[in-house]
Amino acid sequence: MPPFGRGAPRGGAGGRGGRGGFGDRGGRGGARGGRGGFGDRGGRGGFGGGRGRGVGKPMGGRGGGRGGARGGRGGGAGQRGGAKVIVEPHRHPGVFVVRGGKEDGIATRNITPGESVYGEKRVSVDEVQTNEDGSQTTTKVEYRTWNPFRSKLCAAIAGGADDIYMKPGSRVLYLGGASGTSVSHVADLVGPTGFVYAVEFSSRSGRDLVSMASKRTNVVPIVEDARQPARYRMVVPMVDVIFADVAQPDQARIVAMNANWFLKAGGGVLISIKANCIDSTAPAAEVFAAEVQKMRADGIKPKFQLTLEPFERDHCLVAGIFNRTQKSA
Amino acid sequence: MSLFVLAETPAGYGLFKSADKKLLKNDNLAEELGRPEKLVEMLKLKKFVKFDSAAMALEEAASLKEGKIPELLSTLLEDLKSEKKASLAVADIKLGTSISNLADANITAVAGSDTVDLFRGVREHLSSLIPGLETENVDRMALGLSHSMSRHKLKFSADKVDSMIIQAVKMLDDIDKDLNVYAMRTKEWYGWHFPELARTLNDNVAYARIVLAAGMRSNIAETDLSEILPEELETAVKAAADISMGTDITEADLANIKSLAEQVVDYSQYRSELSSYLESRMRAIAPNLTTLVGTLVGARLIAHAGSLINLAKSPGSTIQILGAEKALFRALKTKHDTPKYGIIYHSSLIGQATGRNKGKIARMLAAKTALGLRVDALDEEIDEKDEEERTAMGMTSRIKLENHLRKLEGKAPLPRGTNVDPSGNIAAPGQFTLKETRRYNTDADGVTEEANGETPKKSKKDKKKKIEIVEESDDEMADANGADDSDDNAAATTPAKGAKLSEADYERLADAAGLSVKKFKRKYERGDVALNDDGTPRVYSKKELKKLRKADEGSTPSKAAAVETVTVEKKKKRKHDSDDEDEVVEKKEKKQKKKKRQSTDA
Repeated sequence: MPPFGRGAPRGGAGGRGGRGGFGDRGGRGGARGGRGGFGDRGGRGGFGGGRGRGVGKPMGGRGGGRGGARGGRGGGAGQRGGAKVIVEPHRHPGVFVVRGGKEDGIATRNITPGESVYGEKRVSVDEVQTNEDGSQTTTKVEYRTWNPFRSKLCAAIAGGADDIYMKPGSRVLYLGGASGTSVSHVADLVGPTGFVYAVEFSSRSGRDLVSMASKRTNVVPIVEDARQPARYRMVVPMVDVIFADVAQPDQARIVAMNANWFLKAGGGVLISIKANCIDSTAPAAEVFAAEVQKMRADGIKPKFQLTLEPFERDHCLVAGIFNRTQKSA
Repeated sequence: MSLFVLAETPAGYGLFKSADKKLLKNDNLAEELGRPEKLVEMLKLKKFVKFDSAAMALEEAASLKEGKIPELLSTLLEDLKSEKKASLAVADIKLGTSISNLADANITAVAGSDTVDLFRGVREHLSSLIPGLETENVDRMALGLSHSMSRHKLKFSADKVDSMIIQAVKMLDDIDKDLNVYAMRTKEWYGWHFPELARTLNDNVAYARIVLAAGMRSNIAETDLSEILPEELETAVKAAADISMGTDITEADLANIKSLAEQVVDYSQYRSELSSYLESRMRAIAPNLTTLVGTLVGARLIAHAGSLINLAKSPGSTIQILGAEKALFRALKTKHDTPKYGIIYHSSLIGQATGRNKGKIARMLAAKTALGLRVDALDEEIDEKDEEERTAMGMTSRIKLENHLRKLEGKAPLPRGTNVDPSGNIAAPGQFTLKETRRYNTDADGVTEEANGETPKKSKKDKKKKIEIVEESDDEMADANGADDSDDNAAATTPAKGAKLSEADYERLADAAGLSVKKFKRKYERGDVALNDDGTPRVYSKKELKKLRKADEGSTPSKAAAVETVTVEKKKKRKHDSDDEDEVVEKKEKKQKKKKRQSTDA
């Protein structure tokens, strides 16, 4: 479609982000991710009311009606309730579920304890380890809660994604890193042995990304256009997973190009698709089907497709396995 | 011909020699490269050069990104010169072409889709290919390099000048909002003490300044407000202060109101500074855009697109509806008509247009804006040009559009020499008004008397004659040969009659013009005097006459248009009068019309 060519840089000057009511975060990928200049993303808290389902697993009986009136950002107060909170590992390695308080939440283990990246809540838990000689040592472990309304990847995990391909030690190429809020959670997930290569084109968002990355040594910030993988070929090795949240009309092509350059054979591909950004006139389902078809043509075998309702409207996450068979760049 | 492979790592360059010369032709390359043993067998490390420092790595990486050959790489390539014929596989096509173009080396570079598999293999097994290069080291180097590259990129961001404009125009919008809120609060608050003041004057800043100058209502009578208000308002305010029904307030209350009023005054002062800053910035960065749509609209467009270059890349149709995305996508979804204008609606050109013309002008203006923007953003010689040359494109387009709009609206076109001032307003040329210039045009054509005949006196003449004149000029337009009509004679005589002035008239006019009767008479006969609509004479000096003549020579093509508009005006008049016309005239008219139609058909 693209009536707006390569218009606004992602997250650029923002301004459009405040239009939360429609569920689309500013035109085509406009202010997404970026704190939109003046942090107008706070307006999204209003969604919280619809969260009666709870996150991760449905909660029987409770949560009828409004399911707690806390908004996205203000949430989590109940999860700080000290002893009551239990943190369990999630089905996906590196992801944790915080139980207790009013609702369950998803969290990642903070690799820079004591610091929040974007004002998210932190949960501290005493972890008891039994040593070889039978004595016990307790260590404080800090988790950061991960808001599915602010991160597509978290929304996918909360929505029950079969596989996210990344685990501690993975190398992830993250296209469309924006300000680095989700990137920081992915960095937690892959841990100190993994690496996240975060590509973001907008210099405004790139600024935040670089300052986030300066605190996390496993994040490699790249302020470049994801359309030109050759420009960052020196810093990116072969990776295990590509996660793409670029919201561009030609995002399938962008992902395929990067996969050809950097993705290991058999590596995982996760693409978050916003139907409005590809074609705003066609029905969402058709757009998704067309994108999946494009991925197939590029040697990515689709594994599953997951809608990001109720966190995002007309979004879906498509996962696939990259298999480089034919010789085409 | 031996095949070499160049591997760019964050630690340095690796140059490999391939054991198999036809390595790239191998179809099963991808599978074979999957195993590190096989790859090490196939590629033998010839040389590995390390980057000495992080700064050096940054420099090398920066030029590699642009597809240029950096220093260290060119020294490495020297080694290949000893080879008779060498082909070098590189990852980037752009770099490949620069290497192939190297004058003093006969190296053929191979890049593109052929080498993708090879480099995937190299990237995967880098540590086994280059002994002594541990993966951890590479990772550490990559991290350092990417940080310095990103910082470098952010520091030397190309669109930093645009971002100043964007911030300024956003600040301006914020200030307008805040200033309004503060001013309203001042009025509301001080209104308890002196409610009549808000009613007597509308200006927010003047209100705040009065509060600051006078303070309590009782002081107003003694305060000198002449610097803030015009005289009549000052007296009105003072009178209102005497009979005010406001409540009394304490000094502490007043102190608070005063500090609020101070904010309003300071803020509006800052606003005017900011807007002049924005204007000068816009004139420097996007002169043509500014000429076409004005400072504010231009700045908003840039802000919306993100940068000047982004805006310049978008087509006219996008510029036209920029800012109306919501309406656009709604229209696309529901298959309705798409919006006609977005931000551009606030430009003065579209403001002048009415009804359907708004959409038309929006389209044309957007198209011209797109052209002007490309000149602004991409003109390479812009530094060598002076102000006038830089805006030349926008200026001509603007005048063209103005005239087009006037045509659409049925108005007379702009006179020659009309300019657009830097803030985007139309400035009339010099000292002459529109009417005078046109009058002179007919003057200089040797029908002096006819022109002079068009005085108020003539308008007092019977309607019949007026109609005849109209028809005559109609005729001229339609068919120059059709002038052998009886009407023509009548028309020719009419102005002669009107031109004859009585001696008394001469005396009166000469007096009005400040000349002696004799002199006036001479001038009048020569045609150097024009009579204004109200009957006062206007005597042209020699200088003025020269200028006019020059202007007239330059504007011959527009003469037809001028005549046309004159007739249009007269036609309107005629319509008015036609009700009480006698039948003869009407018949005549019909006949003429028929004739005209025939001539135009032919």
